[in-house]
Amino acid sequence: MRIIDLALKDLSQIFRDKRSLLFLVAMPIAFTIFMGFAYKNGSDNDASKDTRVPLGWVNNDGNGYVSTQLFEMLSNSDSIRLVELTSDAVDESIRTGEVAGVLIVPDRYSEQVSAGNEAPLTLITDTNSTNGQSLYQILRTSVTKLMSAVEIAHLSAETIGKPNDASELNEAFASASQAWSKADSASLVTVEMAMENAPTENWFGDNPYNQASPGILVQFAIMGLVSSGQILVQERKTRTLQRLMSTTMRPWEIVAGHTLAMFGIVFTQIALLVVFGQLALGVNYMSAPLGTLLVSVALSLWVAAMGLLIGTVVKDDSQVILFALMAMFIFSALGGTWFPLEVASGTFASIGKVMPSAWAMTGYQNILMRGLGLESAWMPTLILLVYALGFFLIAVRRFSKLGI
Amino acid sequence: MKILDIAFKDLVRSTRSLFLIGMALAAPLLITALIYFSFGSIASGNVEMPTINVGVVNLDGLPANSLLEAPLGESIRSMFFDESVRSWIHASDYPDEATARDAVNAQEIGVAVIIPAAFTEDYLVGSKETVITILQDPTLSIGPTVVRDMVTSLLDGVAGGGVAFKVLTERSEANGQTLDPAIIPTFFETYSTWYANFQRAMFHSPDKAALVVKSPAEKGDAGNNVQSMMGMIMSGQLIFFSFFTGAYAMMSILQESEEGTLARLFTTPTNRTTILAGKFLAVLFTVIVQGAVLLSAGRYLFNIRWGETGSFLLSFMGQMFASVGLATLLVSFIKSSKQAGFVFGGALTTLGMISGLFTANIQIAAFDLMGNFTPQGWVLKAWKLSLAGQPVSELVTPFLVLTMMGIVMFAVGAMLFRRRFA
Repeated sequence: MRIIDLALKDLSQIFRDKRSLLFLVAMPIAFTIFMGFAYKNGSDNDASKDTRVPLGWVNNDGNGYVSTQLFEMLSNSDSIRLVELTSDAVDESIRTGEVAGVLIVPDRYSEQVSAGNEAPLTLITDTNSTNGQSLYQILRTSVTKLMSAVEIAHLSAETIGKPNDASELNEAFASASQAWSKADSASLVTVEMAMENAPTENWFGDNPYNQASPGILVQFAIMGLVSSGQILVQERKTRTLQRLMSTTMRPWEIVAGHTLAMFGIVFTQIALLVVFGQLALGVNYMSAPLGTLLVSVALSLWVAAMGLLIGTVVKDDSQVILFALMAMFIFSALGGTWFPLEVASGTFASIGKVMPSAWAMTGYQNILMRGLGLESAWMPTLILLVYALGFFLIAVRRFSKLGI
Repeated sequence: MKILDIAFKDLVRSTRSLFLIGMALAAPLLITALIYFSFGSIASGNVEMPTINVGVVNLDGLPANSLLEAPLGESIRSMFFDESVRSWIHASDYPDEATARDAVNAQEIGVAVIIPAAFTEDYLVGSKETVITILQDPTLSIGPTVVRDMVTSLLDGVAGGGVAFKVLTERSEANGQTLDPAIIPTFFETYSTWYANFQRAMFHSPDKAALVVKSPAEKGDAGNNVQSMMGMIMSGQLIFFSFFTGAYAMMSILQESEEGTLARLFTTPTNRTTILAGKFLAVLFTVIVQGAVLLSAGRYLFNIRWGETGSFLLSFMGQMFASVGLATLLVSFIKSSKQAGFVFGGALTTLGMISGLFTANIQIAAFDLMGNFTPQGWVLKAWKLSLAGQPVSELVTPFLVLTMMGIVMFAVGAMLFRRRFA
């Protein structure tokens, strides 16, 4: 009972300060909306809009038959919109965003490739951008087919004994290009989500908040330590903790009371963000309510244990903020809350995957993106509980050494 | 002299604050380092691909009387078990689709390639009904794309063989020749060798490939996209924490007011302008030191090229003026140091957010627009130009805007302080 009294005292102390609501609720909500907006950027769903990627076309090959064929191939593409440019307009067109990239066909291109010489096409684009990546992928396939047609024309002309006959080469090239236009290997491969209940096609399940909401939730759960961690520091500074120790309340009860308050704060914050995500952003946490609850409880326990640890390590309020921020940065980045660990390099991803924050993300993503049920929440929950216990034991050890 | 004394005293106080050092230097460096280590190894040329766990279900078989030596399914399967991809693809066999699907669900593998029975047979007769299915974990994007590209590329190679044979037959007939079956294997072999070499050049020797990719001129001649991304990310952090540091350092005036030392200072023959100027100088110096450390760390730890000397200096000076100006204005509104966390946390984070500091490497039109109305937005604009290698002339406008903003904000803040301490 005294544990609950102590926890309630902490909670009333925190909630009396209206400013804590800024960090606990307002900022995470603002960040969730903001990050979702950032993830969504570029995925415009307006069906009437021309969604083809604009590609600048600079042809220095005149009416060469190979470049003419390439122009035809790209003009018929459903993914690319060609914009004819002159050489001196390349930089400006990219800078103003008129085109996402420019393909430059070199001088005497057809002549060179027909003679078997190297004459690379140049694609100028920012491969860091989605459009740049798309252009490169599309062009790689088109160029492969184009060069294959050139090679086939050569081999065919050689085999029938007319290796230097321009007319024969042209005919064979036209025939190969036509055959390639009918060959569509991509249609022989389909991609499906393995989970039958997985939301939809893209990696964030058509709702960018499926990544942003749990990501910010985990990040700000750690940030929430600022409010709860400061209570313990204030008690030490104002010597109310010493006074508490002089009562019949045992040390473990004091630790448990403070931990319970921290758990209450973090869990309340998570619950609010889950409700906000579900109702306002369409993030379907309720597709597995018990799973969401389990992961949230385990996450709250781990964060509360870490808060207790920080409260026993730091010396003043500002250090609580600093330590909580550092913990937030490290666990958020490594745990894949800022960006999916899939895009990180091998070692970083390997370290990240064992982080408690990564397990919390996995727990939520199992429900939101993989469409799995309660059974998928057990493993992340268990691992988070192990982390919570580990942090709690270290915190208790630190607490006992405070010499109060 | 008194100005310097006040500034020096404030600077000593700042260096003793673990919080200020943590927020001014450790936090931005930590964030950049974390992102650098997640992507940055690519910038140094040490490409460490995350492992893709692929499951293969090969139900395909060789049709009767086929000229092929092995079914296509076997070629696709072998591709994932090949020595050349072993460092980044970990492949395993599964007996059927259900088992593979369970393995993806359990996250043992990220992608499963299901090659159906009779795929080769249907492919050879031109049927498009029998398709290869790639099952993917919905949280992944790169792995499934790579696997799909690999399968499509292999099928393109096979299709190329078909195209080659078709053209040869057609051209032989058109030239009134009868195709000698004995030359067909050599013909195929020559084409296959060419295709394999072509693909190798395309994937492994980008400089010798038929399609060469270059970065736009504005990205600078470094052409390294990861470095460019790191530059953007670190400039966002630099700006955010520079404004925070300025505001926090300026808070010393409130702390002195609360501790009573400011009132004591007012009793000395030091006018208020001198006191405020001393405080201003301390903040300016703190922001300069912070900026210098972070910019040097960016250059030497993360290999970021900040731009031409003139452009770089204008960006940095603009950032200094704006951050000190905003710091003065913000702190002039705050009544106590207790309010500071709320105001700094709320105002600076919101301004940073709408100015695009946290998404500096992504082009978002709305933030570009809103950035025109915030000092942080203009500083980001200046750094983007400098990072893009733009000359000093391009930086003049952002610099002038930032200087004006800095002066106006400082003037308003100073006026409010004078009124408060009159």
